[in-house]
Amino acid sequence: MRRFRLAAVLLAALCFSAGLAMAGPLEPFGRGTWKSILKAHAGRPLVVHFWGLSCAPCRKEMPRWGEILARKPNAPIVMINADLVPNLVEDAEKFLEQSGLAGAENWIFEDRFVERLRYEVDPQWQGEIPLTLLIAADGRRTTIEGAAPASAVLDWLDVQAAAEK
Amino acid sequence: MSHALALIFGTLALVAGVPAQAQMTHEHKAAETCTDLALACAASVTPTFAADGTLWIVARTSDRVFVAKSADRGKSFSEPVAVTPEPMPLDTGPDSRPKIVVDRKGRVVVAFAVRDKKFKGRVFVSRSSDKGKSFSPPDPITASDESQRFETLTLDADGRVFAAWIDKRNRAAARETGPEKGEAPKGAALAFAWSGDHGATFSEARIAQDQTCECCRIAVAFAGPGRPVVVFRNIFEGSVRDHAIVTFADRETPGPVHRVSTDDWAIESCPHHGPSLAVAKNGTYHVAWFTKGRARQGLFYARSSDAGATFSDPLPIGRPETAPGRPSLLSVGGTAYLAWKEFDGAVTSITVMTSHDDGAHWSTPRAIATTSEDSDHPILVGDGRRAYLSWQAREDGYRLLPLGDAS
Repeated sequence: MRRFRLAAVLLAALCFSAGLAMAGPLEPFGRGTWKSILKAHAGRPLVVHFWGLSCAPCRKEMPRWGEILARKPNAPIVMINADLVPNLVEDAEKFLEQSGLAGAENWIFEDRFVERLRYEVDPQWQGEIPLTLLIAADGRRTTIEGAAPASAVLDWLDVQAAAEK
Repeated sequence: MSHALALIFGTLALVAGVPAQAQMTHEHKAAETCTDLALACAASVTPTFAADGTLWIVARTSDRVFVAKSADRGKSFSEPVAVTPEPMPLDTGPDSRPKIVVDRKGRVVVAFAVRDKKFKGRVFVSRSSDKGKSFSPPDPITASDESQRFETLTLDADGRVFAAWIDKRNRAAARETGPEKGEAPKGAALAFAWSGDHGATFSEARIAQDQTCECCRIAVAFAGPGRPVVVFRNIFEGSVRDHAIVTFADRETPGPVHRVSTDDWAIESCPHHGPSLAVAKNGTYHVAWFTKGRARQGLFYARSSDAGATFSDPLPIGRPETAPGRPSLLSVGGTAYLAWKEFDGAVTSITVMTSHDDGAHWSTPRAIATTSEDSDHPILVGDGRRAYLSWQAREDGYRLLPLGDAS
């Protein structure tokens, strides 16, 4: 237990020094944030999920993401609110809390030039959500458009973990 | 807007005693505080030409809708006139924008959508019978409050106003009584209503097609008097969100629904990326749309010479690497125009191409306007003789650019 706490403190310190958000409140995702997220997670598998409150399929699947996080609390999951109808931070935070995702690494789009933010993630992405990117340790990406089946995400995480060993 | 500026604005708001609720918690909210009734503050601008050649625009900030007009093709505008007397929670999604029609006598009808905290929409209508000097208090377009969005207004030849929008009343009803009680059915519906009194009242809303995509703008044009044509993202079997078209047989009778293209985009998501439609004088339908289907991905164009029953093979538009989207079609005289948006990571450009043979062949695409910050969708608008690009960009302001035949 103690070891875990120490690891958490170290990890938090590391993230703090990198200027990145870990658990807790939504952090603003602006120009360049995508690059810094990739950098912070470089060399490790990463799951990135884009969502928004105005998107009914997103709201429906969010509790499943909460369950994934509950089953794998240390899973490298980054949730990014990229709603095309911008959400209020308070509303988004409340919903993350309700979905069991307050402890994930949470971001929210904070630049009205959303095309530029999206271009940094994927030049072809025109904003459709939900969208999930499974990024392997070597940077290889798998894109899931629409709701992501929890089993697919969990299986992918297991495969990546096995590959890391 | 920078954090520093946001902070300054926040501080100013405090000093001025603005209620805490009006202060936005984050940067993009602060940037949205440009709520002046000024073209420079407009997030979207929708144009229309009146028969006398006056250019009218309806624009929205984050919470207000206003109208202005220009007698000199957009070089200068009249003082903006508020349509919303008070701030309203406008639908600020990318495919949402206020609409405007102006009849031969200068009577104006404006429609726009608001939404509540749960993103349930409501369409409001306001009108002016004094040539835009003042507007009536906005009224809901329909009694139902089961969510309406993506409204359109189109003027028929006899001055009647055709309104169509995406409506969730059937979905609400199905939730109560459907076989899967408690489970909301997919999508929404295409609803329509008519006004014979210049927007003062609208007929009871009717559903032209159930189970349409709930989060994309729709496109409307007339095939002839009393015969609207509507293109919309439909939900086909298997949650396939491809485009469909319906031509009305008469004002009250939606005709059969035809498929524009089998893109096979099976997805549970919200594209917020609707189609464009133009109907040429000779009856040719021009349609452009965005898809990420299994059959094709990107922006496409097709035409129909049999009133929408069948369409030509989809023609890919733009350069795939710069994400072409947000199409706008227009037919003026014998020429068809297609404009769209591309973004290369630094610069957004509006590209236009033209066809003189009903869309069989198109000119080489040409970028005619650019901007390096955020911008509205491009809209093509005609005054009966010429075609223009209407485009609002944050940094560069509003532009109305005449298009040459060879644009």
